[in-house]
Amino acid sequence: MRGALATLLVCLAAGGAAAQSLPETDYTLQCRGCHGPGGAGVPGQVPPLSGVAELLETPAGRARLLAVPGVRQSSLSDERLARLLEWVALRFSPAEGTPHFPPLSAGEVAELR
Amino acid sequence: MSPFDALTERAARHLAMHFSRRSFLARLGALLAGSATLPLLPIARGAAAAASPPEDDPTRCEYWRHCAIDGFLCACCGGSVTVCPPGTEMSPVTWIGTCRNPADGHDYLVSYNDCCGKGYCGRCFCNRNEGDRPIYYPHRSNDINWCAGTSTNVYHCSTAIVLGVAAEAQPER
Repeated sequence: MRGALATLLVCLAAGGAAAQSLPETDYTLQCRGCHGPGGAGVPGQVPPLSGVAELLETPAGRARLLAVPGVRQSSLSDERLARLLEWVALRFSPAEGTPHFPPLSAGEVAELR
Repeated sequence: MSPFDALTERAARHLAMHFSRRSFLARLGALLAGSATLPLLPIARGAAAAASPPEDDPTRCEYWRHCAIDGFLCACCGGSVTVCPPGTEMSPVTWIGTCRNPADGHDYLVSYNDCCGKGYCGRCFCNRNEGDRPIYYPHRSNDINWCAGTSTNVYHCSTAIVLGVAAEAQPER
């Protein structure tokens, strides 16, 4: 009986796949096709995203990041683009150390893009 | 004796005189074995294939995952909806859209990885463009050759790989 219950729970867990968060869905639709599931890019063709957190630490870096064509021309709103860039920075930053960058606001995105 | 009883008696006597019990068992066995092999006949299989709806068939353009595909279906080219045919390699660079699965009503993220390295497959060409954007939005367009990051950019066919459940349908739908 206990085994049957465990099997049922495993089946339910496997069947009900959770939806991605909004920033992850935006990453999948807007960025992942070229930068890949791990943000590693393609050597010599598509740059990795491990440096995004570092770019967000300085005003010059933030301006440079918002000038990237795929970012600047994105069809996302300023607010969603800000959340997406923060998500990318936290997700793909190097393993050592915690990234420290000021939050990115929709207003700043609108000004820089 | 009523006419109905007489008819029943005649039929029972006829059966008893002309058919042995072994004969009945043999015929019943043959009937059961024959019924079991019916689905193996080509006609039966053809009827079953025709009965499945096109949105469940990976070799059809109407297959639900193909809502944004532009190219030849790898399922018709020696591969499958998720695997490249022998002799080709899957491009790591791809375009991704969302398609609604009619079975559960969820929007799924679908990656249309191209298979590269041989000439055009030429079979099962499909051109459905839900969410496709003009080519000046290259990362949201299915019209460009996505055979990039591979050893050759020669296009053969396209897969349709589910990556997960989307938070919402793609905004361009």
